[in-house]
Amino acid sequence: MLAVDMTGDAVKAKNGSMVAYDGQMAFKKMSGGGEGIRGMVTRRLTGEQMIMMEVKGQGTCYFADRASEINLVNLHGDKLYVEASNLLCADAGLRTGTSFTGLRGGATGNGLFTTTLEGSGQAAIMSDGPAVLLRVTPQYPLAVDPGAYIAHQGNLQQNFQSGVTFRTFMGEGGGEAFQIRFEGDGVVYVQPSERNTIGGDA
Amino acid sequence: MPAQSPVWDPTTLPSDDNVNPYTFCVELKGGQWFLQKGKMIAYYGRIDFNGIGHGRMDRLLRTSFHSPLHAGDWVVAEGSGKMLLADRAFDVNSFDLDEGNLTIRSGNLLAYQPSLALKQSIVPGFLTLIGTGKFVAASNGPVVFMEPPIRVDPQALVGWADCPSPCHHYDHGYMTGVMGGLRALTGIGGASGEEHQFEFVGAGTVLLQSTEALLPETATGATPHQAGVPGGSGGAAAPGQHGSTPRLPGQLGDLTRRFGL
Repeated sequence: MLAVDMTGDAVKAKNGSMVAYDGQMAFKKMSGGGEGIRGMVTRRLTGEQMIMMEVKGQGTCYFADRASEINLVNLHGDKLYVEASNLLCADAGLRTGTSFTGLRGGATGNGLFTTTLEGSGQAAIMSDGPAVLLRVTPQYPLAVDPGAYIAHQGNLQQNFQSGVTFRTFMGEGGGEAFQIRFEGDGVVYVQPSERNTIGGDA
Repeated sequence: MPAQSPVWDPTTLPSDDNVNPYTFCVELKGGQWFLQKGKMIAYYGRIDFNGIGHGRMDRLLRTSFHSPLHAGDWVVAEGSGKMLLADRAFDVNSFDLDEGNLTIRSGNLLAYQPSLALKQSIVPGFLTLIGTGKFVAASNGPVVFMEPPIRVDPQALVGWADCPSPCHHYDHGYMTGVMGGLRALTGIGGASGEEHQFEFVGAGTVLLQSTEALLPETATGATPHQAGVPGGSGGAAAPGQHGSTPRLPGQLGDLTRRFGL
């Protein structure tokens, strides 16, 4: 559960994720994730749906969603890429948007687009089990199972890597046929659990 | 608010140890590990994953994999680097075997070193590891180690090491006679739900998980259809039926025995 102390300022949170509050709070649904008409159209077109609300007031507000683990991320002017379904809450000062992820999305079943957060402030992301933060540097590229990926931050290139060979089609695949390969400088968030993915059984 | 968690990189990740209670890190230095399909969540370095029907793996299979019938559920990781394993956010733990044997519920075993040999257990749904080496197992809640003699709840049992006597135990006060049968079947008169346990005696260790929620089982492969092979009776006596006499219509079957008739 996430507790947010507020003194007249605002946060964006996943619609319906408030579980309790004390003090004075106002909840306002943000159509199109608060990204304006252009954002609304983009989200509708890309299928990266994100229904957010704006919470504003004085006091403490508590957020939670399906008892999942909450990880706090500090942003200092850099960009966080996160699946919309894993985003619980963010400072209102952070700009949200959508970005194209390339081929990766096709295998994860999360769509070809992902949500970005930009600016300075804090964001809370959800994971099934506590997330493991893995640093990527030019010497140490990282491969991640698409089902365990939740977010990444920093200047990273992602490549889709496939180990599909003729053996996969003979039912003797390695079970890890698809991976996202991260190269560059940044941090990747992985959860100790796997979502069901199209490539998961290959 | 939770504190910012540490950021790991290949130099700080533990070698063959837990990163947190739900994630285990395996270091490969040109060696091999067996793992259940789909339990790898991320890796650094160069690691190949091969289905174990792979021809090149044949020699390895002969020495450390003895149940060809469920080969499809296992893969061999090979290469060098660090690899993270996790299973549906369950607790994972590693255990060392030293010239020992351990039998474990099939759904709980995640990965093991090829210096261990994996075999099907005579007990259906269980796998046995024999030899020296490390293996990784998942459990719902932390694992508790107990010394026999002990009776355990069937749902809490994860596995056992070095003790050859797993057997069923029934609480006879509750299970016999007309009243006992009624109690057990209907719950009227107070059924504790604990009338049946697994019993272990002798020297060894019994592994329990701290909940009674089972992990879904994975296939252990069919056993040969032969007389005398538990679980492999292939069309002979159905469970609960003694001998091969077919049950006649109108016969109460197990009920008659349960009610002491």
